[in-house]
Amino acid sequence: MTGAAALLRGALRLLRSGRRRTLLAAAGVLVAGAMAGAALTVSVGLGSGFDRSAERADLPDVVARFADQPPERIRARITALPNVAAYAPRTEIANVRLRAGGESTRRGSLQLVDTTARRGYAIVAGRDLPRTGGNTREALVEQGLARTWGLEVGDTIEVGRAGPVRIVGVSIAPDNVAFPLATAPRVYLSGTALAREFGGELRVNQALVWTHDRSRTDVTLQQARATTYGVGNLRFVTRTGTRLIIDQAAGVVVALLVAFSLVALIAATTMLAAQAATEVGRRLAVIGVQRALGVPRGAVAGEQALSAGIVGLVAGGIGVTLGALLVRGPSGDLLAALNETPPGSALLLPLAGLTVLLGLIAAVAAGWPAWRAAGRPPVALLRGGGLAARAPRRRAGGPGRAGFLGLGARLALARPGRAGATVVVLAASGGVILLMLGLASLLTALRDDPTAVGTRYALTVTAPAGGAAAVRRVPGVADAGTRVETRGVDSFALGEPVKLTTFGGDVGRFVNPPLADGRRVQGTGEVEIGTGLSTALGLGVGGTLAVQLQSGAELRLRVVGTVRALQDDGRVAFARSDRLLAADPSLTPDLAVRLERGADRAVVAARLAAIGATPTNVAGATTSNRSFLDTLATVLRAVALLDGLVCLYALVQALALTARERRPTLALLRAQGAGTGTVLRVLLGAGLVLALPGALAAFALQRLVFAPLVAQLAAGYADLGTAASPAAVAAVTAGFVLFAVVAAGWVARRVVAEPPVHGLREG
Amino acid sequence: MIAARGLVKTYGSGRAARRVLDGADLDVARGEVVAIVGRSGTGKSTLLHLVGALDRPEAGTIEVAGERVDGRSERELSGFRRRRIGFVFQFFHLVPELTGEENVLLPARLPGAPRGAREHGRELIERLGLGDAARRRPHELSGGEQQRLAVARALVLDPPVLLADEPTGNLDEESGAAVLALLRSAATADRAVVVVTHEPRTSAMADRTVTLVDGRLQPAEPLLFGGGR
Repeated sequence: MTGAAALLRGALRLLRSGRRRTLLAAAGVLVAGAMAGAALTVSVGLGSGFDRSAERADLPDVVARFADQPPERIRARITALPNVAAYAPRTEIANVRLRAGGESTRRGSLQLVDTTARRGYAIVAGRDLPRTGGNTREALVEQGLARTWGLEVGDTIEVGRAGPVRIVGVSIAPDNVAFPLATAPRVYLSGTALAREFGGELRVNQALVWTHDRSRTDVTLQQARATTYGVGNLRFVTRTGTRLIIDQAAGVVVALLVAFSLVALIAATTMLAAQAATEVGRRLAVIGVQRALGVPRGAVAGEQALSAGIVGLVAGGIGVTLGALLVRGPSGDLLAALNETPPGSALLLPLAGLTVLLGLIAAVAAGWPAWRAAGRPPVALLRGGGLAARAPRRRAGGPGRAGFLGLGARLALARPGRAGATVVVLAASGGVILLMLGLASLLTALRDDPTAVGTRYALTVTAPAGGAAAVRRVPGVADAGTRVETRGVDSFALGEPVKLTTFGGDVGRFVNPPLADGRRVQGTGEVEIGTGLSTALGLGVGGTLAVQLQSGAELRLRVVGTVRALQDDGRVAFARSDRLLAADPSLTPDLAVRLERGADRAVVAARLAAIGATPTNVAGATTSNRSFLDTLATVLRAVALLDGLVCLYALVQALALTARERRPTLALLRAQGAGTGTVLRVLLGAGLVLALPGALAAFALQRLVFAPLVAQLAAGYADLGTAASPAAVAAVTAGFVLFAVVAAGWVARRVVAEPPVHGLREG
Repeated sequence: MIAARGLVKTYGSGRAARRVLDGADLDVARGEVVAIVGRSGTGKSTLLHLVGALDRPEAGTIEVAGERVDGRSERELSGFRRRRIGFVFQFFHLVPELTGEENVLLPARLPGAPRGAREHGRELIERLGLGDAARRRPHELSGGEQQRLAVARALVLDPPVLLADEPTGNLDEESGAAVLALLRSAATADRAVVVVTHEPRTSAMADRTVTLVDGRLQPAEPLLFGGGR
């Protein structure tokens, strides 16, 4: 106990004796803690969001959709299946007009709920529809709709023919993304009350199924498919399948954030270790006296470790809390967009664990150099341990060649370990910054530019008199050709939706998303499918895609390639038009219009309208998620900016340590008449010799490691370029140089604030 | 060349405060070598630092080569040190990453250094017989060689005042003698040399010796031994 108290007293004495150093170390841990806390908050939120929300919403294991059926027939079929724990019938009415608070849509999805059964959604505000059925004037709205339209419990919403109804609750169900990401907002009415009021039985077109053993859902589905006679348009969506898709998307974000927080932690650890090494170097003689007087090696190291551990724990705790609070809002919005709930108090334990980890990292980073130093003979320590007397390893420029910048560079390189560690931190941070900027640009491109997702045409038009030839003659049009687009479902998987886009002639003229496997479509009867569809159906090159068209006809095409298409979660297929038109002659082709390079889409659209071809803009990834992509791009740029702070901190810390260690040299320069400008040049040289290689290494790291890694993670969604844009490279280089100037300026100001004699006394 | 009046400097605060200079006056003429002696901790080095504008006095005035030192900004003091003062320290303070020549020429590369300072520095190296030492780096040199390089560095901008703080305190007798001879020869008609020392041989080569007692300078007394503060 006495030993522990002495250790604590020693640690506190150390902290008090170097308040500025303590504050600088605390600032570094705080920044790292904030970043790690932010990353952890988002990671936990997204990583566990689906499971957490699905549990809370009591999400069914299978949702079957089919053409309207009498409820008794469905009940009989489902209850006869193995492994079924519960079942809830539901009626979905699509394209219902919704109007409230000055907003309206014709794409509402009205859900008529059997209130006596399980619901499959969670209530986040207000109350649920009563089990007894309640009345037909009460409704639940999905959270996305409530947020977007500013609706609250107690407000009134007009629901199609049902007219105005009062909102009694707000719900979420993580089986789909929220409105407006999903185009059809969901409104729930009591099917039980409707049936009672109209004295009949509602026909149902959905069945929510809960199983006893989720891992054996496939067996239940196989049985269900075997008993589908008489049930048309049957499609299944499983909880596992939904989770897979959401996890894929969240996985990219989580992986990025984890990488980012690791960079921040490495930066803080490196800097703490470097600072501790300098501190130990400064105190070698004191440690020598301690050892000569019989203080155990462990106590010497323990004092250092405990003092850093206290700083790590306190500053880390503050940083982690700040980081978590900072991203709580955006993270909540992101989760809300995915129809998921925030983790709430479940986040406290991981955040506390992270704080303890930061304290431990700080303790180990500081304790290790002290442990090593205390292991040397006391007499060597009393002589100064050879730290200051160590011979420089090699010559490399200097005042003779590069002036005081060169001298600064040599001072920084005199500590090759620290210089290397700083360059590594800068490279890792810079690589992440480049990646974030690249992803942000990609998102912006996805939002605005259809070519970013492999769509080469920017407009579609109804065919004017004169057809494609007339369109091709319009200035600004590079090419035009017939296109037929339709939606269907996979005939085998019974329920997987497929968007089929076909062209007259060569498909590659109009779409060229990145090829993941196989080859491009070359002839009739061939198809390229998106990786989303490939994953969902387990269908690869050489297989057959069988699409049930809306007309009831079936189209079979041979898969020759899989492509990384972003539209419709990659559940798309591209082929030539002939087979499709033969299968469903009622389909009407329009014209896909490619623009010349640099042509203004609005101008060309106006010209096309003038010849009687009604133009429609082709969107990027999707038409409904513009603000979502904007938010994501802003978040990524903000993360890049935060990461920039890590670079600035690393440089300030490295220069502060160099200035601390070379205090006599800087004082000597000042004694000889060097002013602030010269000190600044020396420190700038020290900063640039770290920042410029750091920037170069960052470009290499981004190109060779980060980009391919993220491209691999995002392969199902986009083809990420491996090269950073020249603008991003220029921005990062300029940023690093600016950080070096800022860091050098800050440290130089501190250096010249003290009389030169103070530094000379240390010599 | 040097006229300091009523210099006051205190270390510490409250009950621990200790006034090491308490109205000290110092006058040094051109061409003169003055040795300052005194007990250890009496403020000899502090006095030298104040005269050389490395530190600021709490009271008193300092004039060096016609320029007032007190009450000036740090920027002005930097220029003052570059133009008027050359320093020699007990522990040499050579930059370990630089060769002997680069160390000597360091002041010549400062902004505002006179043209021809580099040539002057190289001449000094030749004249002092430091050609071999100039090509090597400090850790490869003896203490005497390092201190002679430090003296050359102090003289490279041809300052009117050379201040040396225990210049032989870290040297053997032979090396010390060589350094002292160098300092003696530096006291030309246009330059004054002030040496803080506790060694009899150093004060012996001075034109005048003053003793620091109770924060004030007194004319030469029998030498009191002690280290500089």
